Amino acid sequence: MKKIILSILTVGVLTVQAQDTLSTIDRQALQNYQSLKPGKSKFMLRGYYHTGFENVAEGDESKNQFNFGKIAPILMYKQSDRLFIEAEFEGEFEDGKFQWGIEYANMSFVLNKYMTIRAGKFLLPFGTFMEKLHPAWINRLATRPLGFGHDGIAPTTDVGVELRGAFYSGSVKINYQAYVINGPQLKDGTNEPEEAGMLKFGYFEDNNIDKSVGGRIGVFPFSNGMLELGFSGLTGKVGADGSVYENVRANLYAIDFSLVRNVNFLKSMIDLKGQYNYSQISDANYIVPDDTTGLFYDFNNISNSYYVQLSIRPSMIDNEFLRKLELVGRYSSLQTPEGALWEQNPTQTALGLNYWFDWRTVLKLGYQTTDGLGEHDAPTPITQNMFYIHVAMGF
Amino acid sequence: MKRYIIILVVIGALVAGTSLNSCKTAAVISSKSGAQIWGETCIRCHNPADPATFSDLEWDVVAMHMQVRANLTPEETKKVIEFLQSAN
Repeated sequence: MKKIILSILTVGVLTVQAQDTLSTIDRQALQNYQSLKPGKSKFMLRGYYHTGFENVAEGDESKNQFNFGKIAPILMYKQSDRLFIEAEFEGEFEDGKFQWGIEYANMSFVLNKYMTIRAGKFLLPFGTFMEKLHPAWINRLATRPLGFGHDGIAPTTDVGVELRGAFYSGSVKINYQAYVINGPQLKDGTNEPEEAGMLKFGYFEDNNIDKSVGGRIGVFPFSNGMLELGFSGLTGKVGADGSVYENVRANLYAIDFSLVRNVNFLKSMIDLKGQYNYSQISDANYIVPDDTTGLFYDFNNISNSYYVQLSIRPSMIDNEFLRKLELVGRYSSLQTPEGALWEQNPTQTALGLNYWFDWRTVLKLGYQTTDGLGEHDAPTPITQNMFYIHVAMGF
Repeated sequence: MKRYIIILVVIGALVAGTSLNSCKTAAVISSKSGAQIWGETCIRCHNPADPATFSDLEWDVVAMHMQVRANLTPEETKKVIEFLQSAN
């Protein structure tokens, strides 16, 4: 009997001790969890990188080289459900040295379900290519269409304030952006005489007191959102205050479209995109370079460019390897003012074959030929052929 | 030119205000699931993201980035977050 009582007591004591130990562990786990419990503020590092090999042939000259590409870290900080900050940095080789730049840095505040206000340096919603499609892991080709980028006519980024949002009217979705910015600036030929009359974009400081205004409106006419049509505009003075160009204005317009849908009989997804850009700058007289007698010249300063791109990915077929392939074709054209020293009317055809390792990592093989390239001092237009292998990854 | 723009903006604001006041989201839109919105929206610019790519917390940040950049409505954003957080 004593043995039984002792055994019961022993089991009881051990059980109490075990419960104490368990509850201690539970308390500790809870404390640990609470110490790691996230707050409302959330920080994240994202971005993309691309690199590759390129063969570029122009006339008798040919260049083969590995291209460092660009690393673009993006910092994102969500302060609350209404306040968000993001900044994209760009690291690349330019003029023989590695340089860091800042593509954009801005703060967004959600005013209500229809409106978000954004301030800082942001990608301009002028069409869709620069704002949404240019990052290397999104762009189906390793190059940009004519009219975008270096010596392009489409705006890139600017500093200012923007109101944006989206809403439905029935089954039609409408999105809008309206902004006030420092605005593009006119190159008057002081530093680069052969570029007089061009616009430069993406500057941090303004050259006049006038602010440029612009915006974009996009409409999804179908409820499945497969088609978007957009119209953009931007206007403002571009000449520097106190100069003879202070009343020179620029009016820019763009039309864009995007059609993305699965085509069952092709067992593929097709993506058709395009954008037309138009730039009109008021007349001005520019100094003839290397002339000491004070001669001026002028020209009708109107430019336009467009691109159309089609990509097909057989995403619904059974073969896993083929499902990851994508065929891309793009045609683009740029027309700059007749009589300008930067006059050129090139056209470009680009073809590509992509292999998607996953949703954000791609190997791109491409060939593109550009006819009618006119370097500023080139006596005759030239043709450039380019072959490349690039890899791009979003992270 | 500025006068025309101001007139255009005022007319636009009036039209937007009127349509916002009177507009109703169609049932075909409001009944969309987060997975459906994810499939239809992401693909306009890039391949739809694998839900397993990010944690719940990270999706919360990414979704706000996309709400601003891709002009998602708050309802769309909420549904997409819920889908991605349930499928990751």
